[in-house]
Amino acid sequence: MFLKLKPSFYLLFLPLALWMLLFLVLPYTRVFIQSFYTIDDFGVLQPALSFDSYKRFFTKELYYFTLFKTFGLSAVVTAIALIVSIPLAYYIAFKATKNKTLLYTLIILPLWVSYIVRAYAWKIILGEEGILNSFLQFIGFIDSPISALLYSDLAVVIGMVHIYTPFVLMPIYTSFEQIPTSLVEASKDLGANRFITFFKVVLPLSLPGIITGGTFAFVLSLGDFLAPNLLGGSNTLFISNIFQNMFGTSNDKPLGSAIGIVLLVVVLFVLDMSSRAEKRYSSLNSDRT
Amino acid sequence: MQKLFKSIAAIALAFTTLSCGGGSEKKAEESAEVAVTDFKGKTLSILCWEGYADTKFTKAFEDKYGCTVKGVYFGSSDELIAKLTAGGGEVYDIVTPSPDMAQALVEKDLVQPIDLTKITHYDSLGAKLRSMQDVVKDGKTYGVPFTWGPDYLVYNADVIKDPTSWNVLFDPKNKGKIALWDDISSLYLAGILLGYDKTDKGAIYNMNEEQLAAVKKKLMELKPQIRKYWATAGELDNMMKNKEVVAAIGWPLTPATLKKDGMNVKGMIPVEGATGWIDRLMITKSTTNKDLAVAWIDYITKAENMAKVAEATNYSVANEGAKAYMSPELQEITQMNNTTYYFEKLNFWQYVKNRKRYNEIWNEVKGGTK
Repeated sequence: MFLKLKPSFYLLFLPLALWMLLFLVLPYTRVFIQSFYTIDDFGVLQPALSFDSYKRFFTKELYYFTLFKTFGLSAVVTAIALIVSIPLAYYIAFKATKNKTLLYTLIILPLWVSYIVRAYAWKIILGEEGILNSFLQFIGFIDSPISALLYSDLAVVIGMVHIYTPFVLMPIYTSFEQIPTSLVEASKDLGANRFITFFKVVLPLSLPGIITGGTFAFVLSLGDFLAPNLLGGSNTLFISNIFQNMFGTSNDKPLGSAIGIVLLVVVLFVLDMSSRAEKRYSSLNSDRT
Repeated sequence: MQKLFKSIAAIALAFTTLSCGGGSEKKAEESAEVAVTDFKGKTLSILCWEGYADTKFTKAFEDKYGCTVKGVYFGSSDELIAKLTAGGGEVYDIVTPSPDMAQALVEKDLVQPIDLTKITHYDSLGAKLRSMQDVVKDGKTYGVPFTWGPDYLVYNADVIKDPTSWNVLFDPKNKGKIALWDDISSLYLAGILLGYDKTDKGAIYNMNEEQLAAVKKKLMELKPQIRKYWATAGELDNMMKNKEVVAAIGWPLTPATLKKDGMNVKGMIPVEGATGWIDRLMITKSTTNKDLAVAWIDYITKAENMAKVAEATNYSVANEGAKAYMSPELQEITQMNNTTYYFEKLNFWQYVKNRKRYNEIWNEVKGGTK
C-alpha cells in the first residue's frame, strides 16, 4: 500500500521515522546489545556475548521476585484507578450537566502540577504529623498516629493511584461520551433499569476506553521509580529502583540493560494483549452502525 | 552578630595579609607573578561533586591568574567514571573522587602523581588525611585531601538521652523511628557492629561472603526498626523535622540545618566507631594544564581559601588552619574545632573491590529477598 502513496507522504513520514530512529530504535538497540556485555572490576563495559546478566536476573530471587512484586503492585494500582475512574467518568459524562467542563478540568488539573510536587504532597498528607493523621486524631477516630500510612507500599499505591488516575479517566470519559444517548434511552425503554443498562450497554461499549486507561496506569506504574523512592518504606523495592541502582551506583550496566530489556518485553506483551482486547471489543461499536 | 563577626574577620584578614610580608610568603608571591602570564585565558576544568567549584572560592583564583575555572558536576561515583573515561571532546584537569573510587582511579592510570613540594601548605593538611595509603602508589602521592566528614549517629536529643552506642538503633522504643542511608555504607556500619574492623580497619571494605551474609542478617534484624532509607540529606532533615525519625546514620549537615529550625538534633560517634569519607583533589592523566592544576591545588589548600570552601559547602576541610578564618558556628558544624577526636575515631572509606556484590546485598536487604 505504501507504493501507491504520493511522494509527499514520504516527506511527511520522514520526521516521524527520524524521530523513531533517533529516540527509540537506536537507544533500545544500544541497551539490547549492552545487556550481553560484561564489565571489569571497575565497571567499564567489555564487549562480549554473555548471557550472564540474564542468568543472574532469572536465578536470583532479588531480581525476578522484585519484578513479580512490582507486577502485583502495579495491578493493584490499576484496579483502584479503574474503580475510581469509571464511576467518576460516568458521572461527568452522563449526570453532570452544567459543570461538565469544570469537573473534567478539575480531574485533569493535577497533570499540570509536577510529578515530584504531587508525590511530596502525599508526604505532607500521610505523615505522622500529617493532615490525615491529625484529622483522624482530632475527630477521635484514632489515639496515636498511624505510621504505616507513609513510607510503606500503601503510600506508594495511594500516590500512584492519584498520579495515574487522570490517565485512566480521560480515555474512559471519551468512550462514555461517544455512546449515543439514544442507546441508553432504548435500553431503558425496553425495561432495563439503571444498573442493567450500565452493565449491559454502557460498560461493554466503553471497554476499549477502559482497556486503554488500565494499560496506561499499569505500564506507567511498572516503570515508576520515583514514587517508591519518595513514598516507599524499608520494604519497598520496585524493579525500576534496582534498574536505577545499576546505572547510578552499582555501575553494572549489562545487568541494568538486561532488566530494562526484560521489562520492555513485559510491557510490549501487555500492550499487545491490550490492543488485541481493544480490537475485539470495539467490534461491538461497528456492529452498532 | 554574624555580620559583626564577618567584618571583624575581614579586618583581621586584611591585617594578616599586610603584616605577613616575610620570607616564604614573598617567595610564593613572586612565583605567582610568573604564573600570571602563563595562565591568562586558560580554563581549568574541574570534574567534581556539586559545590566543589563554587564561585565563592574560584573567583579570587580566576582574578589572580586571569584564567577561568569551570566546574563539571557528577552526581555519583559511576558518573565520574563515565565522564572521565568517555572519549572525545571534554578534557578535565582536576577530579575530586571519594575514597570509594580514588584508589581505582590510581590503579586504572587515570590520574597522575602530584609533586607535593609544589603544594606549599601540604604539611598543614590533617596528618590522618595525608596518611591514607589508598592514593599512594610506588611511593608517589596521587591525591591531596580536600574535604571530609563522618557518617555518624544523628539523633533527636529530646527523645534519646545521651546515646553512647549504635544500639539505640535496635532499641524497641525506637521501633519504626530509625533511618539508614540508602547506600552500601550501611554495610560498612553493620561490619563495624559485628566488630570486623577491630584488627584491620580496612576489613569492612573487603568482607568475604560469610561476613557479608552476617552483615545482611544484621541489617535484616534492624529492618523492622526502620522507617525509611534516606536518599538525600534534605530528605533526612525533613523526616527528623516531622518526627518521623528519631535516630539515623547521617552527616553533620543534618544537625546543623535543624539547629537553625530550633530543633535539638545532635550528632556523635558511638563507641563502636563510625565511618568517614574524604574527598581528594587529583590531577588527571589527560590534562593539558598541569601547571594550572597544580596552582589550583596549591591555592585551594591554603587555610583561608579552605575556610571559604567550608563556608560554601558546610563540609569539614583538610587544612586545620582554616578554622582561624571560620566563625565558631561554622567550626562546630564542620567539627573543625575537634579534628583530633574525629580523625582518631573515624574509619575512613576505602575502595570496595567487590562493589557490585555489596550493592547486590544492599538491594537484597531492601527487597527482603535472597
